[in-house]
Amino acid sequence: MSDFKIHHREGEGVNVIELKGYLDAHTAPDLENAFQKLLNEKHFRIVVNFKDLSYISSAGLGVFMAYIEDVRKNQGDIKLTNMSPKVYNVFDLLGFPILYEIYKEEKEAIGKFKDGKK
Amino acid sequence: MSRFKRIISVVIPLVLFPAVFFYDVIRSTVDLDVPSIAFVREIAILMSFFSLYYYVNGKKTRVKKGIPREIGKLLVITFSVLVLAGIISLMRQIVFVEKGALLVPQGVMGVFLSVLTSVVMGALSIIMLITVRELIFYKRKKGTKRNFAFYLVALIAGCALSLPFLRATDRLAVSGLYVLTVILLVLNSFRQSWIVYLSRREKIYCIVYSALLFFTNMFLSVLLSNDSVPNRLISSFSQSLHSFVQLNAVFGAVYFGMAFVSTLFHLPTAEVFERKQSELTSLHNLSRLVTQVFDFNDLVNTVTQMTLEVIGATTSWLELVQSSPDGGGVSVELVAQRNINNDQIDELMKGNGFSIRQLMAESKKVLVVDDIAGDKRTKGAMGVNPVKGCLLSVPLISHNELIGILHATKDMEYGFDQDDIDVLTTFADHVTIAIENSKLIARSLERERLHQEIMVAQRMQQRLLPQSVPNIGALDISAISESSYEVGGDYYDFVKLNDDRLGIVVGDVSGKGVSAAFYMAEVKGIFLSLSKICASPRELLVRANHTLMDSLEKNAFISLIYAIVDIRKASLVLARAGHCPVAYISKDGFEMVRPTGLGLGLTNGALFEESTEERTINMSEGDVCVFYTDGITESRRASGEEYGYDRLIEIAVKTKESSAEQIRDSILQDVRAFTGTATYGDDMTLVVLKWIGH
Repeated sequence: MSDFKIHHREGEGVNVIELKGYLDAHTAPDLENAFQKLLNEKHFRIVVNFKDLSYISSAGLGVFMAYIEDVRKNQGDIKLTNMSPKVYNVFDLLGFPILYEIYKEEKEAIGKFKDGKK
Repeated sequence: MSRFKRIISVVIPLVLFPAVFFYDVIRSTVDLDVPSIAFVREIAILMSFFSLYYYVNGKKTRVKKGIPREIGKLLVITFSVLVLAGIISLMRQIVFVEKGALLVPQGVMGVFLSVLTSVVMGALSIIMLITVRELIFYKRKKGTKRNFAFYLVALIAGCALSLPFLRATDRLAVSGLYVLTVILLVLNSFRQSWIVYLSRREKIYCIVYSALLFFTNMFLSVLLSNDSVPNRLISSFSQSLHSFVQLNAVFGAVYFGMAFVSTLFHLPTAEVFERKQSELTSLHNLSRLVTQVFDFNDLVNTVTQMTLEVIGATTSWLELVQSSPDGGGVSVELVAQRNINNDQIDELMKGNGFSIRQLMAESKKVLVVDDIAGDKRTKGAMGVNPVKGCLLSVPLISHNELIGILHATKDMEYGFDQDDIDVLTTFADHVTIAIENSKLIARSLERERLHQEIMVAQRMQQRLLPQSVPNIGALDISAISESSYEVGGDYYDFVKLNDDRLGIVVGDVSGKGVSAAFYMAEVKGIFLSLSKICASPRELLVRANHTLMDSLEKNAFISLIYAIVDIRKASLVLARAGHCPVAYISKDGFEMVRPTGLGLGLTNGALFEESTEERTINMSEGDVCVFYTDGITESRRASGEEYGYDRLIEIAVKTKESSAEQIRDSILQDVRAFTGTATYGDDMTLVVLKWIGH
């Protein structure tokens, strides 16, 4: 149940993190490390692509909550994209769409960064 | 040996010897020399002595202990017999008459003395033979039994040849056999292995006894060669007995002569042997003791104490070592010490450029400093009260890691020999195991303690959940909550607001375990107090969110549903803070009631309030309302497929006519049947309401 991979790429001034597998209490620390690294390197424009993510637990959701504040304080943001209906439902139940920008496609999110310089 | 056999073996001589005596008396008075009767006589004597041998043999238990005592006994018997022989010799009443080649005693007294002397000497000879045999057999080697048997055969052959009817005329053969017998008895006399195991004191006793037994046996042997009275008496009684006694006397002389010499030469090395023996015993005892002590402090203090005893050290101390993870140096903790203070240890260990501990950490080998003052590794160890003499440091190695060092010093240079090093090294291995054991046990006890704490937390948490379902007229209520670990994160509760209104809350704290349980307790407190003052579910959630924001961690949140049932109005008002939608089954159909709302702890302020909806449902008779947590809908079967909302609705619809409890159980059963296994991955909570109406 704990197969989890993070793939990181950079482009157009935005860092994209692709998530693959299961994000739960066991694998959440990996995502924490990835975010922390980006923050240390002062990359505050982050897009997280959920295309290959099969499952997210409350621990996984907690990771986003932990880092969003700092990122936004530095004029950046974490935008979420390409969620499967199941994963989207998890976010939606909790009301995440109200707090985070969730897009169907990655390029929409990147475009938003370029537009709003945010 | 059975009593019967013992009795027989005593009776036979007791009967036969007097018989022979009578016959001899008659023979001395009347000139009777019938060969056949003489033959019978010799057989009778033989049988008697065999019985005697058999009897004495049975009495002897293995002389594993008390060797000096056995030899002492033999000495006393030998001496007594010689004294008796002496007394008899001084009696001038015996008259001897020539009969053939022999001098034969006359008269009853003479015959009596002849029989007496012979029997006593024969018995002595038997006792001595058996004693010597026991000594020879003390530690058997391959040829021991065989060699002794050869001697016996030669002995008996020699005696046989002395029998009157078997008298061999060939003097060469007789002498040859005699020489052979002597050679064999000398060969047997090399078996002195019992000497080694004696203590020093016992050895000294044996030296004295052996010397005396040598002399007495020599004397006896000479006595039986010369023309002495005892010689005449025995010879006239039985020539074969004479040979027997004389050869054994030679045996005794040779054997105990060699024993005397061996023991004497053994004395200097005895001390070393004894020391090795006692070292082995102490090592064995100490090692056993060390593995029985579990308390760490007791253990390390015992270890240093024992180090002093085992190798006769002057000081000893034990250090635990941890190599720092960044490969820097070694951190050392002194855990026990004897007769040495910290300053002295520091002085000694700091070394002269290279620290001894560093050396040991790298080499993981024993370190010996024969002369502390002179050795470059410890030179410069001055200080106020420097340690003198020699140093021995032994590493404690577990799983190829150095976990500690056991040190010892002696206050004379070159005081540690190879034996000391070996003994301490072996001891150190046991100490290592004992230390590891002690650590494991401490860890195990700690784990046990923590487990107990968790069980307490579980019990406490169980009490936070409702102990019973409220009884409120028009509602049929059933609830259940099962946690996957000992302590879970699901919460549900009921609060009677007044006679008409019942508040129901179902929630899920993110995460599991003890921290989730703490949050749950907090939520309960907030819910119970706010429910009294908040008229609407939405208001309660907003205020609860505000309160919880401060105490929740950054990455923690709580999902909650709060509903208020009004019996009079038959209404259900609810608000949802990020929790699973409520399954509402009416006679027309079903709905997943999902008012907008954010989870608690995600954001403070206006956004939360703005985003939280409230929904009112008017209930009709037979309506069923199912509150649940995501442990239900996210239950998986082996293929990875989730139970999901659809199946939940399906089973609820199917069972909507049943009681709340039956509906609840049906849902649970359905989930379990779906997942196929008995274990659940997440906490599961179900609250089923059925509106019965008035």
